[in-house]
Amino acid sequence: MANAAVKSVKAGSVEGGSKGALHYIFVAFCWIYAAFSLYPLIWMLFYSFKNNQEIFVTNPFGFPWPLHYENYITAWTKYDVPLYFMNSLIVSIGTVVITIVAALLFSYATSRMIWKGKTFTRLFLGLGMFIPVQAIMIPVVKVVQNFNMMGTRWSLIFPYVAINLAFACMVYYGFFKGIPMELEEAACMDGANIFQTFFLIIEPLVRPATITLVIYIFLNAWNEFILANVVVGSIAELKTLPLGVLFFQGEFTTDWGGMGATMVIASFPAIIVYTLFSEQVENAMTIGGAVKG
Amino acid sequence: MTMQLSSLKKHITGLKNYIKLFGDKVFVTANRNQLIFAIIITVYQMFFATIFAITISDKKMKGRKFLRVAYFIPVILSVTVVCQLWGSILDGNGLLNKFFETTGSDFKQNWLGDRYKAIYVIAFVNAWQWMGYQFALIVAGIKSIPSDYYEAARIDGCSNVKAHAKITIPLLAETYKFCLIISLTGGIKAFTEMNILTGGGPNKSTFTLTYIMYNAAFKKSDYGYGLAAATVMVLECMMVMLLINFIFRDKNEGKEEEKSRRKRNG
Repeated sequence: MANAAVKSVKAGSVEGGSKGALHYIFVAFCWIYAAFSLYPLIWMLFYSFKNNQEIFVTNPFGFPWPLHYENYITAWTKYDVPLYFMNSLIVSIGTVVITIVAALLFSYATSRMIWKGKTFTRLFLGLGMFIPVQAIMIPVVKVVQNFNMMGTRWSLIFPYVAINLAFACMVYYGFFKGIPMELEEAACMDGANIFQTFFLIIEPLVRPATITLVIYIFLNAWNEFILANVVVGSIAELKTLPLGVLFFQGEFTTDWGGMGATMVIASFPAIIVYTLFSEQVENAMTIGGAVKG
Repeated sequence: MTMQLSSLKKHITGLKNYIKLFGDKVFVTANRNQLIFAIIITVYQMFFATIFAITISDKKMKGRKFLRVAYFIPVILSVTVVCQLWGSILDGNGLLNKFFETTGSDFKQNWLGDRYKAIYVIAFVNAWQWMGYQFALIVAGIKSIPSDYYEAARIDGCSNVKAHAKITIPLLAETYKFCLIISLTGGIKAFTEMNILTGGGPNKSTFTLTYIMYNAAFKKSDYGYGLAAATVMVLECMMVMLLINFIFRDKNEGKEEEKSRRKRNG
């Protein structure tokens, strides 16, 4: 008993010591829930390779065989999936680029420069974080109409930038505050102007924040549904993938395989981003929640 | 635009929209649904997230990385994909009913068609998707607890379960505060799942305030009424946030004060 305790202390583990039956129950429970968490997704992947007969009658649960690749071909050629994919991609990338540029410049101005009303501006922008998207659906639609952006991709990009800007500025502001002033003073002594200081000294230093924010904003924009539904929900050529998936509710309810294939295609980029940067994605998503709370 | 503004000026309705809203039968249903939704997702997510986060914090456990990914993957999927997926699982001919058919039990039913049960099923779908989120928050919280506390507890002869109950959970108060705020306000704001899975039905039984707003503004063009519902929703969110902040702050400050008073007296 004492030995085991010493061992576990050495390993620096949180749990340790004698392992009772309870421990194994918890571990087993963890694995059972993991299966419960993953199986619906695996099932989705499976049924994207099946035809209706197999989904409903012969093989509802198991591995698909033979593989019906044609579901993906149908989804790609018949159901406008490439269009939705491009729309999602353009809107997400546009949102990320504009938000990052605007937030970088804004936070630099509010944390490093001296001008009247900078605290007020910063706090005013920060208010944006406490307003739920659900509450501003109507005003956003009205503003987008009044700016004559209805029917263009800007009708999605600008609201998304507005939603993400407050959070991005807050993260950058925290980072800028942590960079010592002396760095900039040294750059100034060496004759760098303000643009050189900003792009050569400051911007590389906040790159970790930029990576986190890029992932967070990209996933947010890629998966956003509520605003997309009210802004471009009725415009077929501007629909993003989350809306494109729903399109199956009406006309094509009979083609389950095609629906599955579309859903897999829609989830693919997010899953790729997650597998490549799993640590950063978890961090990015959880900072988002922590700050918003 | 000028026309809209001038027409706005002419129809100042005072509190009429609010009176209509509070007198609406759906208003009561909506608040009831939000409450059920919030309670289910809070209890489900915090219960499972705590158990899994504590179990996985054991560094010797095998497959920790895989489990983390398994719990977190639903979070990064689009809410529409998740709803469509669960829609097809809960469908009359879907996976769940197929499962009950093959096992021969008589649980088979129309999961989303029952006006009393639909809201619970919808809340479950949301809880399933976002459990991994709270799990990640709690894992991050546990990481920040110094391991000396557990060593000290072990030297004093404390069992694992007791150590977690007395050390981990109290020290995660701040994390739990975030979790509570996220899931309770998430319940108040609930909309997407209803919109996709049931369309607010059957017979408006899964409406929430956001849904009332959506329905009024984008189906009936009654913007004033919709905005009244949205305002009430925002106020409810703020009240919950203030309440949670009050509960969590009050305890700590009270204790600190008491301690310092005792010190002075002793």
